[in-house]
Amino acid sequence: MTDELAGTRLLVRLALRRDRLLASVSIGALVLLCYASAAATAGLYGDEAERVRAAEAINRSPAIVALYGPILDVRSEGELAMTKMTVLYAVFVAALFIVLLRRHTRVEEEAGRTELVGAGAVGRSAPLAAAALEAVALAALLGVLVAAANTAGGLDAAGSVAFGAVWAGTALVAAGVAAVAAQLSASARTCGAAAAGAVGAFFVVRAVGDTGPAWLSWCPPLGWNTQTRAYGDPRWWVLVLHPLLAAALLVVAAALQRRRDLGSGILSARPGPAHGSPRLADAITLAIQVHGAAVVLWTVAVGVLGVAFGMIAPGVGDLLDSGTAKELIDKLGGLLVAAVLSMIAVVVSYFAVSVVARAGSDEGSGRTELVLATATSRSRWLLATLLVALLGAAWLLLVTGFGLEIGYVAASGPDIGDLVVAALAWVPAVWVVAGLATLGFALRPGWTVAGWAWPALFLVLTLVAELLELPSWVGDLSPYSHVPQVPAERWDWGAETGLLGVAAVLVAVAWWRFRGRDIG
Amino acid sequence: MLGPGPRYRRPVTTERAIRINGLVKSFGAFRALDGLDLDVAPGEVHGFLGPNGAGKSTTIRVLLGLLRKDAGEVCLLGGDPWRDAAALHGRLAYVPGDVSLWPNLSGGEIVDLLIRMRHGDPASSRRDELVERFALDPTKRARAYSKGNRQKVVLVAAFATDPELLLLDEPTSGLDPLMEQVFNDCVAEHTARGATVLLSSHILSEVERLADRVTIIREGRTVETGTLASLRHLHRSKVVATVSGELPDLAGVVGVHDLAVDGAQVSCTVDPDALPEVLAALTAAGVVALTSTPPTLEELFLDAYRQPTGSGR
Repeated sequence: MTDELAGTRLLVRLALRRDRLLASVSIGALVLLCYASAAATAGLYGDEAERVRAAEAINRSPAIVALYGPILDVRSEGELAMTKMTVLYAVFVAALFIVLLRRHTRVEEEAGRTELVGAGAVGRSAPLAAAALEAVALAALLGVLVAAANTAGGLDAAGSVAFGAVWAGTALVAAGVAAVAAQLSASARTCGAAAAGAVGAFFVVRAVGDTGPAWLSWCPPLGWNTQTRAYGDPRWWVLVLHPLLAAALLVVAAALQRRRDLGSGILSARPGPAHGSPRLADAITLAIQVHGAAVVLWTVAVGVLGVAFGMIAPGVGDLLDSGTAKELIDKLGGLLVAAVLSMIAVVVSYFAVSVVARAGSDEGSGRTELVLATATSRSRWLLATLLVALLGAAWLLLVTGFGLEIGYVAASGPDIGDLVVAALAWVPAVWVVAGLATLGFALRPGWTVAGWAWPALFLVLTLVAELLELPSWVGDLSPYSHVPQVPAERWDWGAETGLLGVAAVLVAVAWWRFRGRDIG
Repeated sequence: MLGPGPRYRRPVTTERAIRINGLVKSFGAFRALDGLDLDVAPGEVHGFLGPNGAGKSTTIRVLLGLLRKDAGEVCLLGGDPWRDAAALHGRLAYVPGDVSLWPNLSGGEIVDLLIRMRHGDPASSRRDELVERFALDPTKRARAYSKGNRQKVVLVAAFATDPELLLLDEPTSGLDPLMEQVFNDCVAEHTARGATVLLSSHILSEVERLADRVTIIREGRTVETGTLASLRHLHRSKVVATVSGELPDLAGVVGVHDLAVDGAQVSCTVDPDALPEVLAALTAAGVVALTSTPPTLEELFLDAYRQPTGSGR
């Protein structure tokens, strides 16, 4: 082993030790989702003819193709079963691996721990190499488990292997993207945003390619997921693309790292103001300052997503014959809007959780102590976090709603009701999730991290309960299950006020506990 | 200098700035503070000493209302630090030993923020002068600051206004000797106008120079408290004497320790109570040379830190 890489093996073991819970729970949930989807398909469609009809219907709807990608082999049971998994849920795979890689590179560096490690008998490139090796190991594990789960779920074994390889490849590419992003800025948050932005761009370019110029589908790595045609007649050679790109990205990351100093980024930081603005004077303005840039980025992201899906939504009725009743066409458009909103609501929940998590890390590092040693009360400090988390989430859903409405009207879709109202229907459920995260933080700062699990857990609960036809109370545990799917369903004041009530109770208990507990 | 809020003049009341009696604080099974007493008079610099893990920071966090006490009596500036936390904090400034700042904000922004959060006004404070004296670059992002510079940001914010009380928890960790000098000057300026200072520190020379009284704690209890002179007084002096006559038998005197005889020279350490008897014996033996040295600060601390109560170190 060269000097540059000395100590890599030890760091890989450290990384695996630190990630044992995060990685096993996330990978377990993803594998379970695949199994549930695979196992449910046989029951959903009686025979091949029925499957082909369903697959062709999907392919004829640009809206659904934009969301999930096309089904390249309509006769294949596996392609249909994995419609949602191939691209859309692969985004969650990518998110997991971005989190993992960033955690062991830039986050460590920003916290100063890389310096500590680097002072030991550890080579300069070892931390990055160790993070990459961990990603490779976990990606391989994920691939094997998914292949096994799909086979166990009744799908073709060879196809399942190809599908497992697609997901493993997605994971590798995400790790490579995150490795490059980690070199850009000294801020772990900026690096995370850059990596997430890249994956978002992959998704959008693929969606455009799948519904328009076909060559574009081949450009982003997420497009390769579909083009592998895992359960059709697998193009095995496509599977080489992911690892090749990942390797290239890692080489770039390593080269960039050699070109910069420890603790700095390729993009150098601009000096800040010598004096603070008079506006920056209390906990609330501080929270706005700290989260402002993130809120702007999120606003742009959900706005673009909203407009894009709003424009696609009217096309969802294309699959039906021209003679079909107009109401049915409208209803399908509404269904798509509801489906898109349910996904965005989960993503926006993560925004709220990230704000609460920030309060947890503030406390862990001693910044909370610094603030609470001034004339700032605990209530005000918690209020600042809650304001940004709750109002920020509501704002993002509002923007999503406006985006959908604008896109929908621009594409001259039929009137299916107010899409802004449809988006706002999700606010109480997102607030319940934010309330749970806040409660964890308020009970014990170390439990803040549990907040990250709630959105994914509730999503999986809703989906798995539906796919595996579990008793309804299982799905009902998730706040997302109670949201009226406006415009496909009617607005439901009972459910909304119920969710608001739960959120209010969670926040109240959190406030009460936070005022009474030890800080730090 | 002080913004809105209670106008502050040199305290004339006899009320203690800090009064702690029998403070107990446990974290799970670990008893961090075990009946601690601390008494700080207004206008004094009070050294707060103890080995690592003795409970100094825990005490300060209780005083700041960050931790809730399990038992005992705690009074800060005449108020209850838990109940009246925010109101009391407008009258004090706190400097932790391990400072973490908002990585995206500049040093200048953080200084002004901390001053404003105590209801101070950066524009009318000594903030610019202190930035200069501490040689702090206020335009740097906090992410880029070294430990010493992070410390300076919080020190500038603390010294810029005129708080009644300064709670300083190992405030000079990471500062170079030049900056330590600036720190000493700042503390002197604040005490000159009547501020009270609680100074937790490991740097004995700093404590010796600045502190009027000290409290030494160990394993969550107070082991010594008083002025440095009185503490010295309570401890053994080292006596070295040369006598012309026959060496007196000091071994039998209660309060004499570490006796060593080398020819006509005798050396020992002597408890304060035993000094008259030892001196009398030496005089009787015809003393020709005598040195009596009070314990150095180091010896005082080492003595207090080591004292075995149950499990000594």
